[in-house]
Amino acid sequence: MSSEIILEVTNLAVEFATYGGSVQAVRDVSFNLHKGTTLAIVGESGCGKSVTVQTLLGLIPMPPGRITAGSARLRGAELLGLSADRLNHYRGKRIGMIFQDAMSAMNPTMTIGDQIAETLIVHMGMSAAAARQEVITLLTQVQIPEPERRLRQYPFEFSGGMLQRAMIALSIACQPEVLIADEPTTALDVTIQAQILQLLESLQQSRGLSIILITHDLGVVARMAHEVAVMYAGQIVEQGSVDDIFYRSAHPYTVGLKAAMPGRSAHKSVLQEIPGSPPDLFAPPAGCGFNARCPHVMQLCTSQAPPLFGTSHQARCWLQHAAAPAQALYQQLIASVRS
Amino acid sequence: MLNYILKRLGMGVLTVWFIATATFAAMHLVPGNPLANEKATNAVIRANLERQYGLDQPVLTQYVIYMGNMLKGDFGIAFSEENRSVNDIIRETFPVSATLGLLSLLFATAGGVMWGALTAIYRNRWPDYLIMFLVILGISVPSFVFAGLSQFAILHLNKWTGVSLLPVAGWGSFRAMLVPALVLGLSTMAYLTRLMRSTMLDVANTDYIRTAHAKGLSTTRIFLHHQLRNAILPVITVLGPSIAIITTGGFVVESVFAIPGLGRYFVQSVAQLDYTVIMGTTVFFGAFLVLMVIAVDILYGFIDPRIRVEASR
Ligand SMILES: Nc1ncnc2c1ncn2[C@@H]1O[C@H](COP(=O)(O)OP(=O)(O)O)[C@@H](O)[C@H]1O
Ligand SMILES: [Mg+2]
Repeated sequence: MSSEIILEVTNLAVEFATYGGSVQAVRDVSFNLHKGTTLAIVGESGCGKSVTVQTLLGLIPMPPGRITAGSARLRGAELLGLSADRLNHYRGKRIGMIFQDAMSAMNPTMTIGDQIAETLIVHMGMSAAAARQEVITLLTQVQIPEPERRLRQYPFEFSGGMLQRAMIALSIACQPEVLIADEPTTALDVTIQAQILQLLESLQQSRGLSIILITHDLGVVARMAHEVAVMYAGQIVEQGSVDDIFYRSAHPYTVGLKAAMPGRSAHKSVLQEIPGSPPDLFAPPAGCGFNARCPHVMQLCTSQAPPLFGTSHQARCWLQHAAAPAQALYQQLIASVRS
Repeated sequence: MLNYILKRLGMGVLTVWFIATATFAAMHLVPGNPLANEKATNAVIRANLERQYGLDQPVLTQYVIYMGNMLKGDFGIAFSEENRSVNDIIRETFPVSATLGLLSLLFATAGGVMWGALTAIYRNRWPDYLIMFLVILGISVPSFVFAGLSQFAILHLNKWTGVSLLPVAGWGSFRAMLVPALVLGLSTMAYLTRLMRSTMLDVANTDYIRTAHAKGLSTTRIFLHHQLRNAILPVITVLGPSIAIITTGGFVVESVFAIPGLGRYFVQSVAQLDYTVIMGTTVFFGAFLVLMVIAVDILYGFIDPRIRVEASR
């Protein structure tokens, strides 16, 4: 990837203090977001996707949350550790965010128009009248019919799909460079899902948006992403271009995710799920977090945590070590799963 | 909307009828009658009086007559005071009770919202602990204790300053209304504070407040435009019951502070078994409360867009 880096996250670690001890929700996460591209973060629910991105915008309640390490730079400017006042120069203005459930993410007692206009008034210093005009333009851009009427309505008067469009309009109102979409289509049915994804794609093209798209659906990844980070138990276990991830999968977890993906191999009638469940984040096991579920587990995996191997295509797996005994066997296995 | 209001009013009338009937029955089940005291010196006078007031009729007939008069808006003549109709008593004394009640309600809601919001902002820090301690005190200590204590305090305050800052009892000036209204509103304020605190905290944890932060709004703006408005809605729903608590609490406070309100008559009439005053005040208070609860529900419908928009369809 040659284009310029907009957002650079390095060695991010976040933990939560709870009654049961501290939860290591995000561990040593690094990624780069390039201009005008989409980075997909995939993984099972609870693996730390939302915490990762919400930390960037200071949306994690602290306490109980705590950033224990790392940095996040937007065009070189550090975001982590900023006061709420300083963060507000970025939030909603240079980084927009969309959430999974638009119905609960919108204020139920404020009209859609007012909620969108509010960001314009606060960040762009617009008058109420100018903001209203801009809201109409935005609603038209996200293809909400009859915007003049719709902007006077409340969230409960919108369908889920329409509301997610309004949420998108809200998040791009101040022309942000980065859009973070946290499972934007998970709550929607399939046809609406496709429309929303298409809308995001066209906005990316027309505005040069850089998008972080969180999903647990590899179908969405295949369609939208340029680069992919696969998360497991708070860590990125594999990272690379979309082709690297789908055609040169290097981590057994990614292979498992692909096998669990419906519709990709139509001749295979039974979906394979990955047996077992993610490890306890209170006390991550020694060694690799995936060792208890891994079909290729080796002695080493249970005692020593693997580092990220590779450069542009990275995987956190001992099988990537040059001396891994099962390397050849493993490649065969991948080939058999893929066919 | 109109349909809904009419239905509520119909239910309200039914409730008031039930209150009237139950009060009538309870009153006649209690031994004795309003003439069983020194007024009726011998059997002849007593029989005459009973005839005059219709007490010689069978109870069921009395009930029918009473209900008929009440439908015409006539609550009858008081037993304990000569030539004074219950309607007159209500007309003269209810405005006093209403003023006291309104003042208390204002005080209770304004205080409840303010203190509740404050505890939520200072959650788990000392202002929160202090206010919540006072709240528990306010809820659990009965109002007559506060009434007595406040009179005691006023007395000492006046003595200490050497001028009569506040009257200990009575009615008429705003200065005289202040302390009774505070005392009367105290428990409601405590209750509303607790409610406001919990709704504020609920709202603070919602997704739409997280969205507001993600939009880059200032904390003050989020508090005023998003949090407060949504947190106040549940508080409005309990205004109906709050009015009921303040109204009935008024009976006690009026007695302690010697305020010439309707509540005092209500309490006295029960002690004297004054049939017409008991019935009149009970039915009046009952109808008033039913009306207030309906009014609050309608008001809520206008404030919450989810209900307002549905209703105007
Ligand atoms: N406020 C919190 N307090 C304690 N634990 C939390 C909190 N928020 C998130 N977590 C933990 O962090 C982990 C990652 O959560 P999250 O990022 O929401 O997962 P997902 O990948 O589904 O978005 C979960 O195990 C969750 O239990
Ligand atoms: Mg999530």
